[in-house]
Amino acid sequence: MQYKDYYKIMGLSRDANKDEIKRAYRKLARKYHPDVSKEKDAEAKFKELGEAYEVLKDPEKRAAYDQLGAHWKAGQDFRPPPNWNEGFEFKGGGFTGGDAGAFSDFFEQLFGRAGFSAAERGQYGFHARGQDSHAKIYIDLEDSFRGATRNISLSTPELTAQGQVQVKHRSLNIKIPKGIKAGQHIRLAGQGSPGTGSGQSGDLFLEIAFNNHPLYRVLETDVYLDLPVAPWEAVLGAKVKVPTPEGIVDLKIPANSRQGSKLRLTGRGLPARVPGDFYVVLQIVLPPADTEKAKAIYQKMQQELDFNPRQALGVYHQ
Amino acid sequence: MNSHDLLLVHIGTVIEEDSLTLGQLCRACGVHADWIISLVEEGIIEPQGEDIRLWRFSGASLVRARIALRIQRDLGVNLAGIALVLDLIEELEGLRAHMKTLGHA
Repeated sequence: MQYKDYYKIMGLSRDANKDEIKRAYRKLARKYHPDVSKEKDAEAKFKELGEAYEVLKDPEKRAAYDQLGAHWKAGQDFRPPPNWNEGFEFKGGGFTGGDAGAFSDFFEQLFGRAGFSAAERGQYGFHARGQDSHAKIYIDLEDSFRGATRNISLSTPELTAQGQVQVKHRSLNIKIPKGIKAGQHIRLAGQGSPGTGSGQSGDLFLEIAFNNHPLYRVLETDVYLDLPVAPWEAVLGAKVKVPTPEGIVDLKIPANSRQGSKLRLTGRGLPARVPGDFYVVLQIVLPPADTEKAKAIYQKMQQELDFNPRQALGVYHQ
Repeated sequence: MNSHDLLLVHIGTVIEEDSLTLGQLCRACGVHADWIISLVEEGIIEPQGEDIRLWRFSGASLVRARIALRIQRDLGVNLAGIALVLDLIEELEGLRAHMKTLGHA
C-alpha cells in the first residue's frame, strides 16, 4: 500500500488552516471536476482530491493523519504503525462524499469504511425502492444503423450486509435499438440497485455514446464522410463510389466543385424517428509529382494556365 | 451467472424527447421533486407540458440535471451558477462538435 501525501495533493503546507484548505479544495475541484475539466485524467485527480479533502477538512481525521509524521513520501510503501489511531473515534464523523467506492486502500486502511453503515440506506423505511443506476456505453455507429445486441459489463459499488463497500461486476446482454443516437438513454426497468426489503429494484439508465469511427463522424443524426477526390474529378465532375454505413453508393460530383464542398444524401444518416442525412465533404488531393511525366504535366499547367491562387490577397505572380 | 443469463437479452425503452415524468426524473437523479422544480424555475431544464402533472422531460434534461447535481455537491455552486456552467458546457460541446465536422478532431 502506498502512502498518500494529502497536503501535497492539495498543494498545501502542513500548517494550512481551515480556510486555506477549503479554498484550495474549491480551486482544485473547479480545475479537475470531470464535468468541466479539460485536464487529462481529471476523474482520477478529482477522486484523489476528494479523498485528501475528506481527511484534511475533518479535524479528527487530520490530527490522526498528521500523527503519522511528516517523513513519509508520496508513493512510499506504507504500513500503519500498531495502535496508531488509538484514541481517535471516526465512526459517525461521516463521509460527505456520495461515492462510497471512490477512496483508496490507503484511506480505508487508516479510517476504515465508517459512515457507510447498511442502516443508513434504510432511511426511507425498510421497504424502499432501490436507487436508479447510470452508465455510459460506447457502441459502434453500425450498431445504430442495423440495430444490435451488445454485451456490456457494469461494475457497481454495493453495500454488503456488514456495511462494507464491494464492487460487484456483472454483464448484461442488451438490445441496441435501430436509429439510436449519442446522448440518448435506454432505460432498463428493474436493473438498477436492488430495493430494501420488498421494495422494487431501481432502473438502469444507459447513456449512448459512439466509438470513434475510422471513416465517419456523427453529429446528432447526421453522418459525415471526408471523400478524397482528384483535382480533375472536382473540376470536371465525376461519378464515384462512396462508402456509407449501409453499403457503397454511386455519387455524382458536380463539375466545378470546390475543396470542402458538402454533398448531401438526404435520409441516409442515422435511421432515427426523423432520419438524419449523410454528408460527403470533398477533400481535393494533389497527385504527387514523383515521376518525370507528372512533373511535366505540372509544368505545362504552370505555363499554360493563367492561375493566381492569391488573387484575393492582392498579390501577383513573382 | 447461469446459462439462462447468458441467453437473456434485455430490451429497454429509449427515452425520447417527452419520456420522463417528474417522478421518474426525481428517482433517476435520486433527489426530491422540490429540487427538480427549482431547476425548472431557474430555466436549467425545460419540460414539455404546462401543468406540473403533465410535465415530461427529455434524456437531455436527465443529463443536465445529473451534471447540476454533481456540480452543486462538489463545487458548492448555486442554481444561477449551475445554469451558467451548463450553458457554457453546452456551448463548448457545440464548438467541439463543429470542429469535428470540419475534421479537426
